[in-house]
Amino acid sequence: MGGDKIIIEGGVPLKGTINVSGAKNAVLPVIVASLLSSTPCRIIDAPQLADVEVICQVLESLGAKTYWVGKDLYVDASEISHCEASDEIVQKMRASILVMGPLLARMGKVRVSQPGGCAIGTRPIDLHLKGFEAMGVQMSKEQGYVTAQTNGLRGARIYLDFPSVGATENLMMAAALAKGTTVIENAAEEPEIVDLANFINSMGGRIRGAGTKIIKIEGVSELTGCEHQVIPDRIEAGSYLMAAAITGGDLTLENVIGDHLKPVIAKLVEVGCQITEGDSTLHILAPQTLSAADIKTLPYPGFPTDMQAQYMALMTRAQGASVIAETVFENRFMHAEELRRMGADIRINGRSAVVEGPCRLQGAMVKATDLRAGAALVIAALAAEGHTEISNTYYIDRGYDNLAAKLQGVGARITRR
Amino acid sequence: MNTKNNKPGKDMPAGQQAKNLDETMMFRVKTEEAASIAEILHGVYQALEEKGYQPINQIVGYLLSGDPAYITSHLNARNLIRKLDRDELLEELVKHYLATK
Repeated sequence: MGGDKIIIEGGVPLKGTINVSGAKNAVLPVIVASLLSSTPCRIIDAPQLADVEVICQVLESLGAKTYWVGKDLYVDASEISHCEASDEIVQKMRASILVMGPLLARMGKVRVSQPGGCAIGTRPIDLHLKGFEAMGVQMSKEQGYVTAQTNGLRGARIYLDFPSVGATENLMMAAALAKGTTVIENAAEEPEIVDLANFINSMGGRIRGAGTKIIKIEGVSELTGCEHQVIPDRIEAGSYLMAAAITGGDLTLENVIGDHLKPVIAKLVEVGCQITEGDSTLHILAPQTLSAADIKTLPYPGFPTDMQAQYMALMTRAQGASVIAETVFENRFMHAEELRRMGADIRINGRSAVVEGPCRLQGAMVKATDLRAGAALVIAALAAEGHTEISNTYYIDRGYDNLAAKLQGVGARITRR
Repeated sequence: MNTKNNKPGKDMPAGQQAKNLDETMMFRVKTEEAASIAEILHGVYQALEEKGYQPINQIVGYLLSGDPAYITSHLNARNLIRKLDRDELLEELVKHYLATK
């Protein structure tokens, strides 16, 4: 992945073509869902991310085998020997709680450390647990761990109080091997849910309605291995669009599904960019001067919370004031402090931030506080005068495949040290 | 080039039709459109089948959600189906079903 710091000399408009990798938020649940299969699965052209390495370690700790052949990742879960996701693992990566659904389905038992608050908010797993209980799972909690057991999962009608992506995925995986039909209402509609359903259906599952508010899952007795290529990463694509926009660039992205980026494209057009959609490509031509525009983060198909930090970086260079309302997570403005160090004028009031632009961004020593905050700092640094050093880059490596090399390829002066 | 959405019809005077022949015109030919929908659906079906999916399940998923992730990029299927408006596609499917019953 490279050194611990990213060094950027700003001021170069991005020009050229970037190929977008497979989606982090799709590949992680797909890797976990491979636990449902009694024969090996092949994930074609999987993204090379730190989080992918970690989830593979999680699966190895359960007794599954994972290995790479070229760019393809193989997962063989024909034998599972353990049913526990330890505190160390869950703290390292919250997505490891997704093993609950497949382990309950395959083994009838799982013990996981209850995730505490993370950098961007509390994110409780109550919705996952309530759904499992409805499917016939008994829960007990002690010493920070949840132990879940069942004599056999059964289909249930589950209404989610909030369209949680993680809960929808966990319950879909459990229901895929449950007895009877499960209906998840008020389900998350993110494209990554559709991708997971596609994967499970390729293994022999029967999931209908993914991508809508109501998902119906008919349980089957066995799932078997398949080949699958995950969808392109809409957040990676959106981040590069922001980078092009802030540098006055002229950039083409390959391997994108434009429909997944509608709210991001709409905002970029509103602030003055020209976007042209081709077959699996997006071209952005940035204006000399960006206009300010407000956003409010919402569950899909609204503006994604995972793009809020990058958009805030963009607005520091726009003419006028913009209001950024974060409605999904309660503590996701930590990047604002680092952007201020670079000269941004940002005021936070509860879950809203006001950015007064245009600011004269200047290079500084800054720190990534989470994955998307790190991306926002990269974007700001690309437009800043002088030299920026970004530390805590392991956050960026969690979700961006080969970021420095991709940006170098379109003219950015960026290195790892 | 002067582009107009002209629809030549019986209520248009012959002289007017002749005059308009000098201009670019857009024709909406229903039978060709239906054929095009059928061709696209067959192409998408074939691509999904070749990639090991259950094609009907995937196409229904797309019609319900509008998410192109249901349709493989194999054989350009994803781009093909996105050329059609979902409401027109559904309308054609219902019309065809009722006509053959």
